[in-house]
Amino acid sequence: MSDALLEVEDLTIRYETDSGDITAVSDASFSIDEGEFFGLAGESGSGKSTTAKAIIGGLDDNGYVDGGTIRYRGEEIQDFSDAQLNEKLRWKEISWIPQSSMNSLDPLQRVSEQALEIGQVHTDLSNEEIREKLKEMFDVVGLQESRIDDYPHQFSGGMQQRAIIALALFLEPSLVIADEPTTALDVIMQDQIFKYLDRMKDDASTSLLLITHDISVIFESCDSVAIMHASQIAERGSTESVHDNPRHPYAFMFKEAFPDIREPDRDLEVIEGYPPELIGEVSACSFADRCPWAVEECRESAPPLDPVGDDDATHAASCFRSDEAYELYEEHGTADPAAPERGDD
Amino acid sequence: MTTEPPLLEIDGLEKHFEESTNVLDVLMRREPSKIQAVDGVSFTLERNDSIAVIGESGCGKTTLLLTLIGLHDITGGDVVYKGTPMSSFDKADWKDYRSNVQVIFQDPFNSLDPKMTVEESLKEPLEIHDVGNRDERVRQVLEDVELRPPEKYLRRKPMNLSGGEKQRVAIGRALVLEPDIILADEPVSMLDVSTQASVLRMLKGLIDDYDASMIYISHDLSTVSYISEVVNVMYLGRIVESAGTERLLADPKHPYTEALVSAIPVPDPHYDRSRTEMSGAPRDPIDLGEGCRFRDRCPKVIPPEGIDIGQSAYREVMAFREALEREELPLDRIRESLDDPGDTEAFAAAIDDEYFSAELSGENAATVETALDEIATGDRDAAIDRLRERFESVCEITPDSIEDESGWHVACHQYYDHDRQSTEDHAITTD
Repeated sequence: MSDALLEVEDLTIRYETDSGDITAVSDASFSIDEGEFFGLAGESGSGKSTTAKAIIGGLDDNGYVDGGTIRYRGEEIQDFSDAQLNEKLRWKEISWIPQSSMNSLDPLQRVSEQALEIGQVHTDLSNEEIREKLKEMFDVVGLQESRIDDYPHQFSGGMQQRAIIALALFLEPSLVIADEPTTALDVIMQDQIFKYLDRMKDDASTSLLLITHDISVIFESCDSVAIMHASQIAERGSTESVHDNPRHPYAFMFKEAFPDIREPDRDLEVIEGYPPELIGEVSACSFADRCPWAVEECRESAPPLDPVGDDDATHAASCFRSDEAYELYEEHGTADPAAPERGDD
Repeated sequence: MTTEPPLLEIDGLEKHFEESTNVLDVLMRREPSKIQAVDGVSFTLERNDSIAVIGESGCGKTTLLLTLIGLHDITGGDVVYKGTPMSSFDKADWKDYRSNVQVIFQDPFNSLDPKMTVEESLKEPLEIHDVGNRDERVRQVLEDVELRPPEKYLRRKPMNLSGGEKQRVAIGRALVLEPDIILADEPVSMLDVSTQASVLRMLKGLIDDYDASMIYISHDLSTVSYISEVVNVMYLGRIVESAGTERLLADPKHPYTEALVSAIPVPDPHYDRSRTEMSGAPRDPIDLGEGCRFRDRCPKVIPPEGIDIGQSAYREVMAFREALEREELPLDRIRESLDDPGDTEAFAAAIDDEYFSAELSGENAATVETALDEIATGDRDAAIDRLRERFESVCEITPDSIEDESGWHVACHQYYDHDRQSTEDHAITTD
C-alpha cells in the first residue's frame, strides 16, 4: 500500500470501568488510501465509533489505546497530544462529523464565527474567502446562505447536523471521518450530501471513513468495507468482494438483515442474541454465541483476521470456518447440520 | 350486513399552530404566522388494514398521530371513529376511544417508566380500564411479543432490558387492551438492524392475530413493505400520493415520491443508482399559501404553455418570484453591499448576479430584466405583476387529488389533462 493515507494496525482499545477494563476494539487492522471511501459497519456497541474516536484523539476519559498503531501519512499518531492533533491534523487534514449535532456547535458563537476561528487557525484564507466557502457549503447542505450568521439555537436539530457537515467539509480536508453523519437526516438530504462527497473525491481525492450501521450506504458509496462485531473486525475487503463473496457469518447475516427496495418481499435475516460485553483480553470469537455455525474452536481462541485468498488482497475474514460458512448458509439457511448444538439465545 | 361505518375515517384533517408571538407583535397587531403542520389529510382505515404514512422530518406525520390520539385539538376537518366524529365525543366516547386506540412510540428508552417492572407496566392499562383477568392477560401478551418465558421478564425493569426487548414490552403494552387500532410511530427506527426485521415481522403478525388495524408512521420507505399494504406519502402537511405499497415503490407517480424512492440506497456495489437531482430542503410549513407545496423543489414543475424555458432556469425564476412575493429577498443587504447604494443599475445587476445563473433568452430575459429594474427603482408591485403574468405556473394552484380505478391517488398537475375542462376526464397517465 504505497499511498495509504491512514493505516490502523492491530489496534486494541479498552475502557476502564468498575467491573474491569472493557475491550471495545480488539486487534483491528485496516488502511485507507487517498481518494478511497471506506465504510466501517456494525451494530451499536461493535466498537466502530470507538475506532473512529481513537483516530481523531477523541476517546472518552476512561478510554485508552492498549496496543497497535494508527499512522497518518506514515506518521504514528496514536500518542499525539491534543495540541499536536490540533496543530497538525484536525479540520484541515482530518475533519470529523459527529453522530449527534447536540453539543458539537458552540452555542455562544454564530456559525460563521466558528468557521472563521477554524479557518484562521488552520489556513491562510482571508475572512472573506472563509465566509464564501462556508456559504457554498451551506448551499450544498440545503441551508440558506444568509443563515451562516445565525446562532446554533436558531436551527432545528436536523439543520444543526447539516451546519456541522458544512463546517467539517468547508476546508476541503484530506480525510473526512463521519460517524453516522446522515442517520438523523432524510434520505434525499443524505443523497445530496453523498453527491457532494463523491464530487470531493473526484476533484480532490478526498478520503472518507464512514462509520454507520447502514450497510446499504456503504455498499453503494464506499470502495471498501470492514464489518465489526463486538470489538473484532469480522470481515474486511473491497465492497465488491464482501458483497459477492462474503466469508464471515456475521458479515453475510448482517447484509441479509437489510431491506433492498428492489426486493420488497424478501425475508430479512434476523441475528438472534446480543453481542457480549468483553472484559479483559478477547480470547474467543465474539460472534460465537450468536453464530449458527460456531464450533468448539471458536470459543477457544480468537480467530485471526486472515486473507481469504481470492483476487482481492485486502479481503480478509476472522472466522475458522470462513471457507465453508457461506456455502452452508446458501444451502441450508441458518440451520447448520454440522453444528446442531447451538445454544439458547 | 348493511352499512357499517369504517373503523376510522380521517376527513380533511387540519392541525395548525400559531407561531409564538411577543409583546411587540401584539402591540403592532401583527397577525401571528400559521404553522400548517397537518393541512387537509384524508384517508380511511378499515378493519384489519395496515396503512403507512411516510414522510420526511417536518412533514407533519407525528402531529397527525398526536392529533389522532387527541393530544392536539383539531383545527379543521374531523376524525370519525366507528361513525362518531371526534368533535362530538363525550366523556364516555373518549374513554372508549382511548382504550381502543393505542400507541407505540419511537423511543423504547423513554416510553417505559424506568421505575416500573414489566409486569406493572403491562398491568397499568388494564387497571385504568378496569379489565379483569390481569395476570393471565399479562402472561399471554408477553408470550405474544416473544418474551418467553414470561416469568423471566415479569420482574425486570427497563434498565435490565435490551432495546429490542423494551420495544417488545411497549408493543405488549399497546396490545394488552386488545385495541381496534394501533398507531405506531417509527417503532423500529431506534433498534439495531439485526432486531428490526424480527420486531416488524412480529408486529405485523400480531396486528392480524389481535384483529386490529394499524397506522404505521415512518420516514423509511425501505421497510414499509414488510408492514403495510397501503402507503400514504406526506409532504408539508398534505398527502401527495397514496397507493398499494409494492406498486408505489415500483412505479411512483408524484415527483416527490419519485425522488424519495430513488434516493433510497441500494445495498449492492454493482448497482449504479444515480444521485438525487434535488437540492435544498423542504421549507418551513409556515403560511404556505396556495399551490403544490413541492413546486419549489420539483424537477417537473410545469412552465406556462407557450414559453420556451429550461427546467433549471424556470425554477430559478420561480424561486425568485416566490421570495419576492413573500418579502424574503435580502434587498437591503444587497443594496448596502454596493459601492454606491443609490446606483439603481448596479443594484439590479447585483440582484441578477445573486439569483440568476441559468441562461435566459428572448422575452424571458427581457421580462426578468425589466422586473429587476422595477425592483431596483422601488416598484416591487409592478415587478411582481410583470413576473406573474409571464411565468405563473399551473403548479401555483393547489392540485386536487385524483384517483384511478385501482384506488391510486396522486395530487400533481402532471396527471391532469388541462385541455379538457371536466374533472371526469382526469386520469392518471404514465409517460
